[in-house]
Amino acid sequence: MKNIIIGQYIPGTGFLYKLDPRTKIIAVLILMVAVFLLKSITQLMIAFGIAIIILIIGKISIVRVARGLKPIFILLVFTFVFQIFFNKEGTVWVDETLTFSLVSLIVLVAWTIVWRLLTKLKKFKMMLFFLYIAGVYLILRYLTYGTIFSTFNFVVHEKGVEMSIFVVIRLLIIITLSTVLTLTTKPTDLTQGIEKLMRPLKYIGISSDDFALIISISLRYIPTILDEANKIMLAQASRGADIAEGKLKDKIKQIISLLVPMFIIAFKRSEDLADAMESRNFVPGRERTRIYDLHFGLLDLMVALMTIGLLTGSIMARVLWIG
Amino acid sequence: MGIQFKEVNFSYTGVQKGFYEAIKDISLTIQDKDELITLVGQTGSGKSTLAQHMNALVFPTSGSVEIFGKLVTAKRNRKIKYNEIRQKVGLVFQFPEYQLFEETVEKDIMFGPLNFHVPEIEAKELAKKALRMVGLSESYLNRNPFNLSGGEKKRVSIAGILALDPQILVLDEPTSGLDPRGKRQLMNLFKSIQMETGKTIIVITHDMDLVYEYATRVLVLNAGCLVFDGTPDSLFKKPSLSEFHLDYPATIRVLREINERFHTQIDIYQKTVSDATIAIKRGFKS
Amino acid sequence: MAYLDIEHLHFQYSSKRMVLKDINLSINKGEWIAILGHNGSGKSTLAKLIVGLLSPKEGSIIIEGQKLSDETVYDIRKKIGIVFQNPDNQFVGVTVRDDIAFGMENLQIPATEMLEKIDFYAQKVGMEQFLDKEPSQLSGGQKQRIAIAGILAMQTDIIIFDEATSMLDPGSRAELMEYIKELHREGLTIIMITHDIEEALFADRMIILKSGEIYQDCEISVALRHPEWFEEAYLELPTAMRIYYDLRQDGETYQELEEYLWEFSLKK
Repeated sequence: MKNIIIGQYIPGTGFLYKLDPRTKIIAVLILMVAVFLLKSITQLMIAFGIAIIILIIGKISIVRVARGLKPIFILLVFTFVFQIFFNKEGTVWVDETLTFSLVSLIVLVAWTIVWRLLTKLKKFKMMLFFLYIAGVYLILRYLTYGTIFSTFNFVVHEKGVEMSIFVVIRLLIIITLSTVLTLTTKPTDLTQGIEKLMRPLKYIGISSDDFALIISISLRYIPTILDEANKIMLAQASRGADIAEGKLKDKIKQIISLLVPMFIIAFKRSEDLADAMESRNFVPGRERTRIYDLHFGLLDLMVALMTIGLLTGSIMARVLWIG
Repeated sequence: MGIQFKEVNFSYTGVQKGFYEAIKDISLTIQDKDELITLVGQTGSGKSTLAQHMNALVFPTSGSVEIFGKLVTAKRNRKIKYNEIRQKVGLVFQFPEYQLFEETVEKDIMFGPLNFHVPEIEAKELAKKALRMVGLSESYLNRNPFNLSGGEKKRVSIAGILALDPQILVLDEPTSGLDPRGKRQLMNLFKSIQMETGKTIIVITHDMDLVYEYATRVLVLNAGCLVFDGTPDSLFKKPSLSEFHLDYPATIRVLREINERFHTQIDIYQKTVSDATIAIKRGFKS
Repeated sequence: MAYLDIEHLHFQYSSKRMVLKDINLSINKGEWIAILGHNGSGKSTLAKLIVGLLSPKEGSIIIEGQKLSDETVYDIRKKIGIVFQNPDNQFVGVTVRDDIAFGMENLQIPATEMLEKIDFYAQKVGMEQFLDKEPSQLSGGQKQRIAIAGILAMQTDIIIFDEATSMLDPGSRAELMEYIKELHREGLTIIMITHDIEEALFADRMIILKSGEIYQDCEISVALRHPEWFEEAYLELPTAMRIYYDLRQDGETYQELEEYLWEFSLKK
């Protein structure tokens, strides 16, 4: 839990830090739309290149962003596999019969154990994973000895490969963009940006001021609540409520034993917090001033123009079907 | 048996604090009976982390902790049921709010024993017994724990652990937030539980008066290191405690001031007010 | 008329027994008073009533001639700040700077003025190096100091400390007390709610609450002449005082020593 980078501000000096949060929020939204408009891998590759260039100009460590992608690695792999298996368009690239036989299953089990043991080394985890997948494929493809349980056809179509790469790159770009936003924008600036952008909603009865306060208080208390949840878990584990062991019936009780204290503490905290806020002259709905004034400067204008340029480019690409 | 720490380190990497060593190279043995240990040190010195190692709630980064014959190291061993360790060593957290969740005191105290598959009838008996041990009458059994006062909640939470009948009882800052009388009452309770049952009791505290008056042994942590392990007497006889970031008990402080002011030779090492008074009288007469 | 007058104040939470009974109390500007009582004596409830977080069942609270009511509560809160017990549950901002600003933002102070004040008051409580830190990177004592800075920035006349030190370790507690002494020297009125008599000794006056009633209200040096009061109110005298009374018990006198112990306890 302690290594999640998405949603974490890291101080820095690049030009992205100097932008008005409103510019960044809007730009990221527009660029996401632009990415979704793109239709071919070549176009996406160009977009990906542009994203990398933004990182480099913004002096953001690419390694850092890549590390932030780790938690969604599984999602990427799943998307990839899903596309390869279920897309049946275009020319057939691979058509092979995979066999589940006695021998292949035994070897498969052995191979899985070897892989699990190797991952203990901690290094090259990613590479080992691909190696494992390749191994599984080879085993199922060539070890056809022994009693055969079942067979199935492993068919890969051109479109399948294309789409899977396409979808994964698109996801990568979108996640990189949003990571850049949260990495370079202080939570306070972010909420204030959102608040200012939501101002027009006042006319349909939503107070952007209150909304922003809710967001910033939530952000402030997330670490506290996580820490507390951890302590409650340990306190109940001390009474033998170890979720890992025990029957289903016990587990339900154990989950209740975590949730009830969490709610009660949260409730008490919200009362305390309301008292603290009120005693410091907070009146819901009343106008407040802010310490940070947002400035839409020259740099913002440039970024805005560039963003619009990129959007236009992607619309053109789609309409004219270039690449 | 009991608990043996061997060169235990515990560290973690957090986004904000970076690499952080909570406890460093700790070796220590805790007997499974007849000890009343206090664990002291300033905030952030690693007291809670050390306590959580004592019943395998956290695993050391390196080194090992042997708890009633079960070896706990950085690697989880599938053969060891860590849950069973927690029946032998009970840990009570600082805030009772972390553990109370049932609608009656009785059910809440029974939660622990039931987790260890004690039959319901026996669990009920254990609940009664535990409640008596913490000095609350049976009339509390059917009360809602959330309607109790702070001190009563604390006692119920302690009973919830005592019901497991652990051999070693660890309490994380049980006296914090209580008024002076409440503190003393609770410490007297621990002392009587210790005398009656022979269990080892470990109390984390900031209050040196309590350490001096009650403990048979004191462990001092400073910046994650175990810097002292001995009797309270030998701790407070040290000429300076500033390197440990600790203060002297009030009796010693007052008597030392008197000696300085009146150039007397009073024996300053007195644990209680009445002993201090007797020592003063003796000192002033000679 | 005193700066703050409490007259015949009664309070009860719905359907429960009376928590506060007939409280009468006057506090002068620049005074430092300690409200002392055992757990559950009603002292925190009194604090909440003074800042209008709770409404009395009967009686009135008058501050600078203005009676506390639904209409005046917002004006009155500009004059009184309160530091609560739990450091974590009163830290509103995402960073230290935001938290100090919170009260001023509510008072609609312009941004440039706020930034100046934040720097000034952060320095005052020794937190100027921490303005960009988040609450999870701070200790309890540091959070309490930031709460003080936030109140100072609103320029209130009174600060109430509602058991503000009870969740801190002895080191941070002593440190916080030094800051409070400094504030008092500069003319702030301090109301210190505590069950720690050592802390109460720094005050000019001591109010002992017992089961929701004012049991005693007098100067510290007068209160200390009556050890039986503390016994009655389930409180404990400081160690030096207990030795003092122990010495006097069997008739023998150690006059010089007793005087010294007395001085030692008073801290002033």
